[in-house]
Amino acid sequence: MRSKLSFVGIAVLVLASTFCAGSTAQVKLLLPLRPRLSLRGNERILIAPFVVVKEDTQNNRSASKVDIQAEFVQYLAKNIAKRTRLQVIRPSSDMRLPTQNLIVLGQSQEYWRALGTASGAEIIISGSLEFRVEDRAGYKREEYVSPLTGKTQYREVYVEQNGSTVYIVILAFNGRTGERIFKDAFKDFHQTESYKADDTRQLFDNLFSLDGQIMNLFVTRAREAQRYLLSP
Amino acid sequence: MPCLFVLSVPAYADNRTDNPKVQVAFGNKVARMNHWREAAFRYAQAAEKDSNYLAAHANLAVAYEALGNFEGALKEYKRALEIAPNDTKTRRNYTRFAEFYTSYTRTNGKAAPNAQ
Repeated sequence: MRSKLSFVGIAVLVLASTFCAGSTAQVKLLLPLRPRLSLRGNERILIAPFVVVKEDTQNNRSASKVDIQAEFVQYLAKNIAKRTRLQVIRPSSDMRLPTQNLIVLGQSQEYWRALGTASGAEIIISGSLEFRVEDRAGYKREEYVSPLTGKTQYREVYVEQNGSTVYIVILAFNGRTGERIFKDAFKDFHQTESYKADDTRQLFDNLFSLDGQIMNLFVTRAREAQRYLLSP
Repeated sequence: MPCLFVLSVPAYADNRTDNPKVQVAFGNKVARMNHWREAAFRYAQAAEKDSNYLAAHANLAVAYEALGNFEGALKEYKRALEIAPNDTKTRRNYTRFAEFYTSYTRTNGKAAPNAQ
């Protein structure tokens, strides 16, 4: 009996150790994403005007009450100054872009070189901005349990869904050569309840959602990931 | 009962630091506490002692990722997959890393003036 028990005990331990040897643990990593622009950290950076895109259709309208140009430049300048050692140069009131075509703007090397020379900026930021308030209201089919009969029925319900979309294209230029060194687009849709709709607040809801991605151009950002660690 | 206790003591009761398994076990312990530099050091030691040790290379890749050394992580993942191409956990880690690294290198901007 004793020998049988010790045999079973050893067998259990061998199985357990085999299981443990092949097991893994999951760990959470915070991947340090370097700033997407290769910067020394103390460059002079000019935030030039952006191309503002306005497009009205049946279900969406450009939020004409919001000066998206001014608000975004203010937001960007404030955050860069606060979180980096870059020296921010704001655009002068009479600064005008040579074109409203984003593709042509990205290729206007001479213009950006001249602007960089005139302002002393090593990096110039520009691009395009679009802010739309969207009405996605409509009928939706939902299940409904009748309190009288207890049967499940279906009914059409009118649902009001308002939201706002921000679409930002950021271009970065070398202030000395005028060469484009970066381009990327950022988009965010934020849903709101219709009675709370306020264009300015919706804009900031969108910007705060994109904050990590936009500021990752200039500062390090952490992104969460999970990995397996193999046991010895 | 005493014999069961002895048999249940973990592998790293062997305190020799030249034992790769001891190094990996210690590395895992400190990795769970987010001490990734120490963990990377331990895994690298283990990989040096036994160049065909899967856990050393696979875990070293994870540690390099955590430290932001993505080029090193790529190299270690490839080595780990050479050793054990069918290891599902390593392959899953590598797939997630490859997805991130592809996006990371694709969208990295060109160097700004005087940037190193």
